[in-house]
Amino acid sequence: MAAVTLTNVVKRFGGFEVVHGANIDIADGEFVVFVGPSGCGKSTLLRMVAGLEDISGGEIAIGGKVVNDVEPADRGVAMVFQSYALYPHMTVEQNLSFGLRMNGNPKADTERRVKRAAEILRIDELMQRRPKQLSGGQRQRVAIGRAIVREPQVFLFDEPLSNLDAELRVQMRVEISRLHKELGVTMIYVTHDQTEAMTLADRIVVLKSGNVEQIGAPLDLYDDPSNRFVAGFIGSPKMNFLKGKVTEISNSAAIIELVNHGGAKLRKPLGQELPAVGAEVVLGVRPEHFCEAGEGDCDIPVKADVAEHLGSVSYVYANAGPEELVIEREASRQRAGDDHFTVSIKAERSLLFDKAGARIR
Amino acid sequence: MRYRNATAYRFLTPYLLIFAIFWIWPIISSFIISFQATRTVPWRFAPTFNWGRLIGDPAFYNALKNTLLILVIQVPVMISLAIVMAVLLNSPLLKARGLYRFAFFAPVVVGEVAYSAVFRLMFSLDFGIVNKLLDSVGLSKIDWFSNVTPAMAVIMIAVTWRWAGYNAIILLAGLQSIPDDVYEAATLDRVSKLKQFFYITLPLLKPVIVFCAVLSIIGTMQLFTEPFLITERGGPGGGTETLGLLLYRQGFRSLNFGYASAVAYTMAGLAIAITLVQLWLTRDPK
Ligand SMILES: Nc1ncnc2c1ncn2[C@@H]1O[C@H](COP(=O)(O)OP(=O)(O)O)[C@@H](O)[C@H]1O
Ligand SMILES: [Mg+2]
Repeated sequence: MAAVTLTNVVKRFGGFEVVHGANIDIADGEFVVFVGPSGCGKSTLLRMVAGLEDISGGEIAIGGKVVNDVEPADRGVAMVFQSYALYPHMTVEQNLSFGLRMNGNPKADTERRVKRAAEILRIDELMQRRPKQLSGGQRQRVAIGRAIVREPQVFLFDEPLSNLDAELRVQMRVEISRLHKELGVTMIYVTHDQTEAMTLADRIVVLKSGNVEQIGAPLDLYDDPSNRFVAGFIGSPKMNFLKGKVTEISNSAAIIELVNHGGAKLRKPLGQELPAVGAEVVLGVRPEHFCEAGEGDCDIPVKADVAEHLGSVSYVYANAGPEELVIEREASRQRAGDDHFTVSIKAERSLLFDKAGARIR
Repeated sequence: MRYRNATAYRFLTPYLLIFAIFWIWPIISSFIISFQATRTVPWRFAPTFNWGRLIGDPAFYNALKNTLLILVIQVPVMISLAIVMAVLLNSPLLKARGLYRFAFFAPVVVGEVAYSAVFRLMFSLDFGIVNKLLDSVGLSKIDWFSNVTPAMAVIMIAVTWRWAGYNAIILLAGLQSIPDDVYEAATLDRVSKLKQFFYITLPLLKPVIVFCAVLSIIGTMQLFTEPFLITERGGPGGGTETLGLLLYRQGFRSLNFGYASAVAYTMAGLAIAITLVQLWLTRDPK
């Protein structure tokens, strides 16, 4: 068991900096997910923790001990790779025991560990098969099993589910959660899929172009994102962003004109930092936070373009001037032919961002 | 559908015709000739004439012994060398990889006569660089071409020089098809680089190694150029005569086509037999 601390971690490939000073504190036993778009440096960070990449600057500590110059095998970490990285010429059993056998671990102990991993992952029947005789989900289990056998202090997962089909992904997600409960060890999990992040994480680290944008519990990020990027990245379907302009400041509230919606105005109460009158702002509204005409603080008429009916709810893709909005409606309210309708925005269920994307609270 | 097939075959006809005349027919014909006495006019059918002679011919056993000796020593040495070269070529530390790849491959492209001439020069008694080097480190000169053992060594060195790089390039392609993350997983499993080589690289490379070995066995079974040009027609005194040379001597110098055909079939049969044994020994379990 071990906490993992990243202090001002920098990574450069040649002269090109891809991680710009990451500070992340991971508590012992915590399940932390690094999430962000492809190429943002998630894998690089994880591989630095594993020791597969050198650390160009800053420090990484595992269990209180700085590991910058510690060999990968001595860091007490185990990694599950996106492509599984199983040894193709070995049976499942040999795959699981290979590392222990190569290091002269006592035979009885090796057998005990392999047996335990096989039981946890329910792969007992597959022990004599080779990787190419396994399905994707089974390979994934073996890859996780190989990590379990090492009895590491920290598990590292790099997009472990991205090669699986949707159904299996959900199933394996649950299993990984269960595994975390069962083993109680620290896990760092990398994914580009915000749903995976939301469902698995104790805490999420949102990354963008090598910068940590925000760290927090899933619902904190959902309710209270600190910038427009996090607001747009967390939540599915994505948050809507409506262009606005501050027309008036009064009583620590801003009157915002939604410029693409025929002068509709919203009064948004704010804290200390008030924007200037005339400032361009962006109003963020989640699809599920629109309400019916008259129920909110600002009505805007929209024209439905496409509707996706999921059963309990429908997602309506609507045009409102040049902006496309996604609106969640109760299925019963969205009927065919009902193209023009009005939705309403509640001030307390909307988020305000300045032009650069920083949150105005 | 049938019409389309017919059209396809019509387009293939010129090729098939040439293939039949210059490949299939000689193969069949030499098989028949190997059962004929060809030094009488007209040739006559005499099933044991050539094959009977072959079984008792000391020249044949000499050539067979030489060929197998080269095979047994040169092929494993060359393949091992090629594996080492491929691993070095694949190293991320290596700069100018393209240059090395070309340099390793180049010997195959060099003309056989030119390459043989250079090897003769390098190993010449008085002017050769090899003897100069031996001399400079205080060893006595070797008369490479007058004694059988050194002459065999020269042939093996020459063949290895010519083909090791070629095999290394094929093996390199095999190495590059092994994904990096398998090695990364092994590194995290605390498996040393050396153990990674023996427990991961070699087993995963096995099919390519077998492929190279089969190619080399077939090539060495037919060995001709080097003993013909470098050791002057299998010299000294037939000490480096191979089956390929024996075939040439019988077929094209003594014009004994029947006997030469029997030798040719023996070579092919041996190559197939050795290859099958090789494939059987290195087969995948299950
Ligand atoms: N070995 C490497 N050499 C050079 N650049 C690299 C290397 N590995 C990754 N990068 C770059 O670093 C950035 C982050 O990569 P990565 O961590 O793999 O992203 P992610 O896993 O978030 O998709 C990308 O711009 C990528 O091109
Ligand atoms: Mg990645």
